[in-house]
Amino acid sequence: MKNKYVFVLVMLVGLLVASLGLTTIYVGSTQQPQEDEKLHIVTSFYPMYIAAMNVVGDTENVELTNLSEPQTGCLHDFQLTPADMQLLSEADAFIINGGGVESFMEDVASAYPNLVIINASEHLDLLTEDEEHEDEETHEEHDHGEEPESGEHVHDHGDVNAHAWMSVEMYRGQVQAIAQGLAELDPEHEQSYLDHAAQYDVKLAELQSEQEEIASMVSGQSVILFHEAYEYVAGDYGLNVALVMDLDEERQVSAGEVAQVLEEIDEHGVTCILAEELYGQKMAQTVQKSADIRVLYLDTLNRGDYDPDSYLTGMHHNLELMRQLAETED
Amino acid sequence: MINLTSWLDYGFMRNALIAILIITPLFGVLGTMIVNKKMAYFSDALGHSALTGIAVGVILGVTDTTLSMVIFAIVFALLLNKISSMNTASTDTIISVFSSCAVAIGLAILSRGGNFSKYSGILVGDVLSITPGEIWLLVVIFAVTFLFWGVAFNMLNAISIHKTLAKSKGIPVKLIENLFAVLIALIVMLSIKWVGILIINALLILPAASSRNIASNMREYHLFAVIFSMFSGIVGLIVSFYANVATGPMIVILASIIYFLTFLYNRKAGK
Repeated sequence: MKNKYVFVLVMLVGLLVASLGLTTIYVGSTQQPQEDEKLHIVTSFYPMYIAAMNVVGDTENVELTNLSEPQTGCLHDFQLTPADMQLLSEADAFIINGGGVESFMEDVASAYPNLVIINASEHLDLLTEDEEHEDEETHEEHDHGEEPESGEHVHDHGDVNAHAWMSVEMYRGQVQAIAQGLAELDPEHEQSYLDHAAQYDVKLAELQSEQEEIASMVSGQSVILFHEAYEYVAGDYGLNVALVMDLDEERQVSAGEVAQVLEEIDEHGVTCILAEELYGQKMAQTVQKSADIRVLYLDTLNRGDYDPDSYLTGMHHNLELMRQLAETED
Repeated sequence: MINLTSWLDYGFMRNALIAILIITPLFGVLGTMIVNKKMAYFSDALGHSALTGIAVGVILGVTDTTLSMVIFAIVFALLLNKISSMNTASTDTIISVFSSCAVAIGLAILSRGGNFSKYSGILVGDVLSITPGEIWLLVVIFAVTFLFWGVAFNMLNAISIHKTLAKSKGIPVKLIENLFAVLIALIVMLSIKWVGILIINALLILPAASSRNIASNMREYHLFAVIFSMFSGIVGLIVSFYANVATGPMIVILASIIYFLTFLYNRKAGK
């Protein structure tokens, strides 16, 4: 009889010690001691991290951390964990893409009113949903959960397309915005930030002129997009968008949508589908079975490794793919 | 060495702690009767109906989906009770039909337009989402549950032992069973946002099941269930904070370990 109580006590104490002990070991192994005189900058997700990496460069006493994992991609259903909140509480600045990608910003802003938030898209003219296909009834809105999960109408037009980094021109603007923001925050290293940004901008400008060269050859062609992000690509190349279908995580394609894509191909003389390898492939293959159409799998540049040049290489890869489109046209 | 109190510096963690202190004893107490009455599957189905509740709320344009969730769950629970009492097929089958149907409707509506990602958070739960308003609701539920328990526990117990006998003793079987179902529905719905649909049932069942392994009377049964429930809740919260994992699953992992340990103890002691 008494044994039972002893057993329960021993079990609970044992579990408590074990779980707290293991947690201590785990935390100890993952957390590096932080020096407090450093400037802590947190970025929200991959493209912002790469941009900030290039702006910060070798500037001294700056620690750059990315909030999400490099493979997270877009922050569709990103949930802040307690550790994320902790990270943000120690940060001096938080670089976000804006446009509603960081759906948790409201929580963050209210929890840490003193945190400096650098919105990279603040001065950019982002595409809005209704701008290009107001009458496209079937176009499914892809919102980033900007609104709380309340019963708001899913089709409220005027939502912002936040994938601005997909346009080289916009991305250059984002880099500048980040550099400006950091320079204001940390005047001591202002020159360093601006210099690095300028160096990076030279490379980006090169990329853009290369892109314009291809654009002059392909502009006017009709395409179907399998990801909202490619609207910026279409804009850069002057392509006509016949249909946007936003395929991503957890999106189930219905049979009717395949039929619709095929219809659009016939109707608008669509020459190409731009799709994302990870989420668009199945759908693209299905369409290819029934229609003779080229599919280009463009990189959405929102995941990868922490290589400062990854944006350049990724964009270059996309450029080469788009070049194919130009060559077949000749 | 980690600072074991640093987690209390954050407002959301304090909210989470208060919520856990209120809700885990309830899980423990209600769980005892759910396990006794073999209703584990029933409460699981209720949890799943949360999806449909949200979906109905979205369609009707209700801003506060908690409300539509609670109302739908109550209707769902009463309907389930009604149909299972008709005794046409085995209760398991009926509950399974209802549960899958509810999930399917919920998924169909919420995935409309590829927007399911917006709601997928509810599958795993988010401990940061507890608001002070919800804590007050929990306090009310806490009081109601204990009132109900004081008045109706003996009747419930009698029903769980022998329904017909209980009826012949003049116990309002239907009423008590319905009230019990509504109570489960309320508690499940109010905690589902931070526990998550996938594992909420584990929190109801595991502490009571562990307790049943070692308890030899009703008083011990309740006592151990509440202790186990609160222990896994609090320790799970703290561990999840430092180890950077979702809170609900961490709590369930601890509760499962307790279950296995009590199970082993029971087998050894029973020999």
